[in-house]
Amino acid sequence: MDNETKQKINKRYERELNRGERFWPDSIFKDLIVSLGIFVLLIMLATFIGVDAQPRVDPSDTTYIPRPEWYFLFLFKFLAIYGQIPVLGKIEWLATVAVPGLVILVLALMPFIDRNPNRYYGKRVLPISVMAIIVVDIVMLTIMADVPTVTENGSMLPGILQAIAGMVIPLVAIILLFLMTFVFRKTSTKTMIWTAAISAILTIGLTGGVLAWFPVPATTETAVATTLVDQISAGQDLYSVNCVECHGDDGKVTKIEGVKGLEGKLIPAINSTDVLYTLDDATLAEVIAYGRPEAGMTPFGKAYGGQLSTSDIENIVTFMRYTWDDRFEAPKLKPLYPPLAAGEVPSYDVHIAPIVKRYCLSCHQAGKQNNNYLMDTYDDILKTGDQAPNVTAGDENSTLLKVIEGTPIPDPKDPTQTLIRAMPPNGHMSPDIINVFKLWIMNGMPQTAEDAAKLSVTPTPGAGSTGTPATTPTP
Amino acid sequence: MWKNVYEWLDERLGLNDLYKNLLDRPEPKGNWWNTLGSAALFLFILQGVTGIFLTVYYTPSPDHAYDSINYIMNGVAFGWLIRGIHHWGATLMVVVVFIHMLRVFVTASFKYPRELTWLIGIGLFLVTLGMGFTGYLLPWNQQSYWATTVGTQIAGSVPFIGDFILKVLRGGSDLSALTLQRFFSAHIWMLPAALAGLIGVHLYLIIKHGESNFPSKED
Ligand code: HEC
Ligand code: HEC
Ligand code: HEM
Repeated sequence: MDNETKQKINKRYERELNRGERFWPDSIFKDLIVSLGIFVLLIMLATFIGVDAQPRVDPSDTTYIPRPEWYFLFLFKFLAIYGQIPVLGKIEWLATVAVPGLVILVLALMPFIDRNPNRYYGKRVLPISVMAIIVVDIVMLTIMADVPTVTENGSMLPGILQAIAGMVIPLVAIILLFLMTFVFRKTSTKTMIWTAAISAILTIGLTGGVLAWFPVPATTETAVATTLVDQISAGQDLYSVNCVECHGDDGKVTKIEGVKGLEGKLIPAINSTDVLYTLDDATLAEVIAYGRPEAGMTPFGKAYGGQLSTSDIENIVTFMRYTWDDRFEAPKLKPLYPPLAAGEVPSYDVHIAPIVKRYCLSCHQAGKQNNNYLMDTYDDILKTGDQAPNVTAGDENSTLLKVIEGTPIPDPKDPTQTLIRAMPPNGHMSPDIINVFKLWIMNGMPQTAEDAAKLSVTPTPGAGSTGTPATTPTP
Repeated sequence: MWKNVYEWLDERLGLNDLYKNLLDRPEPKGNWWNTLGSAALFLFILQGVTGIFLTVYYTPSPDHAYDSINYIMNGVAFGWLIRGIHHWGATLMVVVVFIHMLRVFVTASFKYPRELTWLIGIGLFLVTLGMGFTGYLLPWNQQSYWATTVGTQIAGSVPFIGDFILKVLRGGSDLSALTLQRFFSAHIWMLPAALAGLIGVHLYLIIKHGESNFPSKED
């Protein structure tokens, strides 16, 4: 740049200063308002949205889908789209290093590339249009980030459409703009603006299409337990499903019953001080993860082919400590089910499901020895099992009721043999819980809380019940 | 009385000169887009303050990082607020810095005499992204662990020296306690120091050349 231009620029700036404002207070005032607004916004975000709790690190869980900070998502999408290109797509560093590096370099050297001294927008259509196209592209790639490039049934269509929206259209538009400026020369400003606008509209439209046609697969977001109470209950649930089978709902079992291959095996009671004092948290976690394969306890950790993540195992250990280890004082926990008022009928959703989960599900799930009686859903409880139906509404002699009351069912062909043992085979439930089952079965086995409320008898008149026939009208 | 105190201080500190040189400057007619730089500065300071509070409880070791964050969220009074502000502040800072850069680009404020301001700005942008990248690993949860695994892998795809970069970033061939320690050190010492230094030069240059005017047909 020659000195004359520099002087012209400086003169012009001088003039602007003379009809401008003071830094203090005029500019600072605006700055403070914006900063204050940002501060308030941040407090609102922190209060009302907060920070999502994430599960603990689990290096063995290679199925975890990595997700970077959202402002890097567009790069991830760019890499995914690029990776589909035949041949070129195999040369990874072109997309990971060369392209981003080049973009940053061009951006950094902007003052030396764009040497024309004009600053007015109308005289800088090329750089502004190109930047606009790139920014729109970045935003759209971010929005599309969660849509996979290949559908479940192997169709490449979403990937191809994404490539057109996120790569082909912007690239073609940018090349056209450069051609217009440097090769055709005479192109009007209007045409260039239209080129940029149309490419942006196409990119946005196609992105909308991709989102509409290929829904983002639902991620199974499991709630992460962060408070001690939540961790203990999460641990208890996991323990119920995975361990009750062999160790009983209270960890007391010393002789395994009702488990194929381990019938009658003697084991240490894992709620005893013997076990809890000798094994520290890390060892307990290791026992659960690795199991005791030689003794019959299967591995549970994902690293060894099981189902449980590090967080899960951690929660089970926490549950064991706070429930059985007398050196730990348990915080107040939620009861297994809300206590029943007089005349209230229990429902499956509110009462039976949590009880079944704690006491029965460990054995009564697919793949276990249980006479094909699955208890994971309302319908399965009613319909499955070799002796199906195991429960009949209003039937006091339902098989399920009998066995949980501690009466084994004899084999009809040979009455000296038991067909079904008392349930659970490794200990029995408290009378309160058995009573909940009984009330539920005798009152028609309602599934939802609303159904149960309709069946409930309210002893005190006007307590919200919609007049069940059982209540006598009050004078 | 106050006047005397002020005069005494002014004699030793030169408050009046400071006021004249820093605050009482002429500026071209202002524009709301020009507040974004100072908004980025505000966010940088806010991140610094909340970050310092977080280090009181945060422990950068694989065994304790997760639990210490958990404790900050549930055990420390207003810990959730401090972490919430730091978390969202990081997001907002990237957005604000990016839009600040866009406005400088659109108004062509990077042209003579502000070329160096722009170059320093690019440095600021990259370091800000670096802050986001290193900070993301610190909670040491699934998301951060795997995102960093992939992120460092990408850095490791540079031809020839990729392997070296990968090892430098991770402190070995795998993510480990060393990686966490390194990212922590980068996040609270190296990058903020670089950021502070660059911001200092950036601000000096802005005061030296003055805020550019909004371009009109004459420019
Ligand atoms: C298939 C049956 C089975 C299941 C299911 C099972 N275990 Fe075990 N577990 C055993 C057996 C058998 C042993 C005894 C090993 C021995 O004698 O060394 C054992 C031992 C243990 C021990 C160690 C006792 C000691 O002193 O070494 C712990 C702790 C334990 N189990 C916890 C659990 C937890 C927690 C679960 C649920 C995630 C679970 N187990 C699920 C069968 C099982
Ligand atoms: C330790 C594993 C275990 C637990 C826990 C358990 N069961 Fe069973 N259950 C079995 C086995 C095994 C059978 C097959 C019959 C037998 O071996 O006695 C069975 C059979 C049954 C049957 C008969 C199914 C049919 O159609 O033949 C019913 C009903 C039943 N269980 C109810 C329950 C209930 C209710 C609970 C929870 C309170 C429960 N069980 C807990 C192992 C278990
Ligand atoms: C941590 C990040 C940053 C901070 C704290 C910061 C701070 C500031 C401040 C306070 C101003 C003056 C007010 C304004 O114009 O908004 C400014 C101006 C400027 N910034 Fe930044 N900035 C940052 C990042 C960037 C980036 C990423 C770029 C571009 C690559 C950049 C380039 C410029 C330029 C060229 C000016 C002069 C603008 C003019 O005179 O009109 N800055 N910056």
